[in-house]
Amino acid sequence: MKKIEAIIKPFKLDDVKEALNKIGIQGMTVSEVKGYGRQKGHKEIYRGAEYAVDFIPKIKIEIVIEADRADQVVESIREAANTGKIGDGKIFVIPVEQALRVRTGETGADAI
Amino acid sequence: MNNVHRQTATQLRQKTEGLIARFLKGKEPDFLMQHARLLDDYFRQAFETSIVGPRMDIRKNPYAIIALGGYGREEQCIHSDVDLLFLFKKKVPRKAENLIQEIIYPLWDIGLDVGYATRSLNECLALAGKDYEVLTPMLDARFVCGWSLIYANLLDELREKIIVKKSPNIINWLVEHNELRHAHFGDSAYLLEPNLKEGQGGLRDYHTMLWIARIAFNAKQFRDLEYLGLLSHEEFQTLIRSIAFIWKVRNRIHHICGRKCDQLHFENQVKLARSLNYKKNNGQEPVERFMGELHGRMEALKQQHLVFLHELGYEKRRKRKRKSQKKSAVDGLEVIKWGMLNFVGPEAIIKNPQLLMKIFEESARLKIPLSAEAKRLVKEFSHLVNKIYRTSEVVVKSFERILVAPVPKFNVLNEMLNTGFLEKFIPEFRGVRNRIQYDEYHLYPVDKHLLRSVQTVKKFGTARDSSLEPLCEKIYRNLKRKKLLLWAALLHDIGKGESVEDHSAKGAEIVKNILTRKGLKPADIETVIFLVQEHLLLIKTATRRDIHDEETAISCARRIKEIERLKMLYLLTIADSIATGPMAWNDWTATLLRDFFLKTLNVLEKGELATTGAVEVAEQKKKEAIRSARNPREKKKIEALLGVMSPRYLLYMPAPEIRKHIKLYNDLSSSNSDFIWQIKHTSDANTRSVTVCAQDRPGLISKIAGVFTLNNIDILDVQVFTWRNNIALDIFKVKPPPDPILEDEKWNRTARNLGAALSNELDLTAALKKKVRVYRNAKAGLDKKPHQVTVDNTSSSFFTIIEVFTYDFPGLLFSVADALYRFDLNIWVAKIATKADQVVDVFYVRDVNEQKVDLPDQVANIKAAIMERLPTSRMNRVTEEI
Repeated sequence: MKKIEAIIKPFKLDDVKEALNKIGIQGMTVSEVKGYGRQKGHKEIYRGAEYAVDFIPKIKIEIVIEADRADQVVESIREAANTGKIGDGKIFVIPVEQALRVRTGETGADAI
Repeated sequence: MNNVHRQTATQLRQKTEGLIARFLKGKEPDFLMQHARLLDDYFRQAFETSIVGPRMDIRKNPYAIIALGGYGREEQCIHSDVDLLFLFKKKVPRKAENLIQEIIYPLWDIGLDVGYATRSLNECLALAGKDYEVLTPMLDARFVCGWSLIYANLLDELREKIIVKKSPNIINWLVEHNELRHAHFGDSAYLLEPNLKEGQGGLRDYHTMLWIARIAFNAKQFRDLEYLGLLSHEEFQTLIRSIAFIWKVRNRIHHICGRKCDQLHFENQVKLARSLNYKKNNGQEPVERFMGELHGRMEALKQQHLVFLHELGYEKRRKRKRKSQKKSAVDGLEVIKWGMLNFVGPEAIIKNPQLLMKIFEESARLKIPLSAEAKRLVKEFSHLVNKIYRTSEVVVKSFERILVAPVPKFNVLNEMLNTGFLEKFIPEFRGVRNRIQYDEYHLYPVDKHLLRSVQTVKKFGTARDSSLEPLCEKIYRNLKRKKLLLWAALLHDIGKGESVEDHSAKGAEIVKNILTRKGLKPADIETVIFLVQEHLLLIKTATRRDIHDEETAISCARRIKEIERLKMLYLLTIADSIATGPMAWNDWTATLLRDFFLKTLNVLEKGELATTGAVEVAEQKKKEAIRSARNPREKKKIEALLGVMSPRYLLYMPAPEIRKHIKLYNDLSSSNSDFIWQIKHTSDANTRSVTVCAQDRPGLISKIAGVFTLNNIDILDVQVFTWRNNIALDIFKVKPPPDPILEDEKWNRTARNLGAALSNELDLTAALKKKVRVYRNAKAGLDKKPHQVTVDNTSSSFFTIIEVFTYDFPGLLFSVADALYRFDLNIWVAKIATKADQVVDVFYVRDVNEQKVDLPDQVANIKAAIMERLPTSRMNRVTEEI
């Protein structure tokens, strides 16, 4: 099993969700995060006061999937979230040791 | 174990099940009491047939079985606890344990939750005197069976020894507990999933009233509250109905869960609505109608009990003086005891109905609440509010003063809502009364949400500002027409009263009617309508579009058009989000919204791109371009192209030029070349206009400029535009090559040079070295104004603007553009203008990552690099940063 962690631009969430639904992914965890990479925040000035956005709002999506589907999921996300401009985000693939469904106690592939 | 008892217990269970079944079919109006009676029957029978009982000499040590708490009040829900007291006159005998087993254990066996205490009279009194948690259930004590005298003893001693002596302490304790409970259950989680017993407006509110009445007034039953004049008949009836409804729901939830349950979890809300037969109506789901009614009932109970406490002076006792210092200056109103506002009498209202609004205004002004009597009178005389009243200028102005009053301790509008007066004054409020939106996002019914929005706006700029947004204070304080923002906050969701797709649009319609009738100025009405119509615009745009794209800010700015309106809309958005619930507003959202707001504000403040004029001009040009299409397929292509043209381009380029450029672009697409250009004679025979259309790439401008300089073509003016599909349109005004006869030949050569430069076959820097040096030194020694290079990172949120003030020399544009190129900067927009030999070059640039260049060393280095390319002069060079 693999965990896919994707950081994307907020307005791309709907596109990514739709793309994942199309390939049969029905579940995901979404959180509001902030961060920066090469895309830096720049300061805005209002009446002489600076308002710096050091950390730019992004969305993080987490999905755990069978290992053989990981590539497909990654590509789907990448395509849907891509704008070609800086700040599009990153996707990470992480190995998962075990998974368990709380309601039934099922483990492994049955849990995801 | 006694078999008889087991049988009796079994019988009890059967009878109870029968009773419950009939109740669920609606055939037992007195279910709570009947249920208690069944238990009484059991205990009496158990007592009579007791084996252990007779072995304990009841004459020597009389005892009784007494019901406490809810069972004592005969309010037994389906799975309520059974609270018992085995009371002995003297010390509790050891055999009592056997008695308990005999009577209680069979009940446990049939699954009843029975709690019991075994105490002597003295023990009871001792405990109750120390621990009021023990005292309060005893206030509801009821004799079930045994020696009745001991029960009478208990009540008497309780009153004499404890209640009479400690009444203020006990009531204080109750009131404090109440406040804590309300604070705890005012939490957002409990608003979505109310707790029927402990929540605000839950049964505990009713219990508290009853206990205080028992303690302070020796009331025996709840009805006594009316008889004692603590509640009016109508208030009592409303209270009874509220409590009855809550019990109805509580019984249902017990039944659905199969056990005692007081909290209405989400999953159960839909089941309850179905079980109680709610139907869909007026766009509302059954669960929404159910929760709406529940909310209304609990709110009524909560309000009544708060009024009860307040009237008796029990609330915040230590802080209030019996005789208040404040006075009312209004004829017909007076400040009465405990610092509350009242009418001098009903006649005052009849004589001057405006008092109904005035009392709320005074309440806000003096920051004191209305008395219960005043609220009753407002309700009673609300029928005086007719069409004339609603549109009377005096009354409207009075209301507006209430609307803009800075945050008082008492939410005056809330009181107005609770008395029903607000609905009379603005009938459209009826549609949103208790209207629940069933999701985890919206915490409050619409009417409450609107009032909370108003309160939130008023809090901006005070110490209680919960907006997480430091900008709010500044912006709010500087608003010119706060009143309009407050009207918008009050009415922005009024469209939700009707089941429509777009409540913003519907709301705008309704608001127009309301405010027109209220006699507001047309310009003001327009503003409020705009705010209501667009109250979701900023947050929708910020979350659904790329806020780092200039186009987003521009399109939003064009829709809003005025700076003051943008500021009001921003504050309204924040207030709306806060008043919705914690899921709607947090630091993440605040950051996103603020960033977008400032970018949009910038566009509006700089003006040019977002004025009404700008919008019209751009639209006009688009229409003309589309009209020039010869067939539908061409029309589609043109429309697509118009979509990618940058806003500045559309604004500054004349319509006929746009058409020509479209053609140029099409030619470029179908050819294989790197660039395509069009050379034309202008009206002045001495100049030419050269329009270059090419795929944008770093260094494009410098290469074109360099190639011109190489061929001795003097550049007079340049305009650089970049479309969003990365197509560059560079329009040069030049002096043609000196030899007119061989001009075409010259242009061809220049074109070949450009092609070579673009494919990196021609090294322009090397080729121009000699030329540029010659030109630069030629100007040396002359008295000239100093050069100036400014790097502006504030005027635009999306570009760094570099301005170069210098005097003309051949190769100037190449030099400066080349300097920018070597810093890996992309030129998106440029304007170069020459007047005599003064030149102003303005470049809108971004780095290779499409970011502004604002780190201090970067800025310093770029300025230095550009300055280096400019000719030296005797004067000092001046650099300046904005």
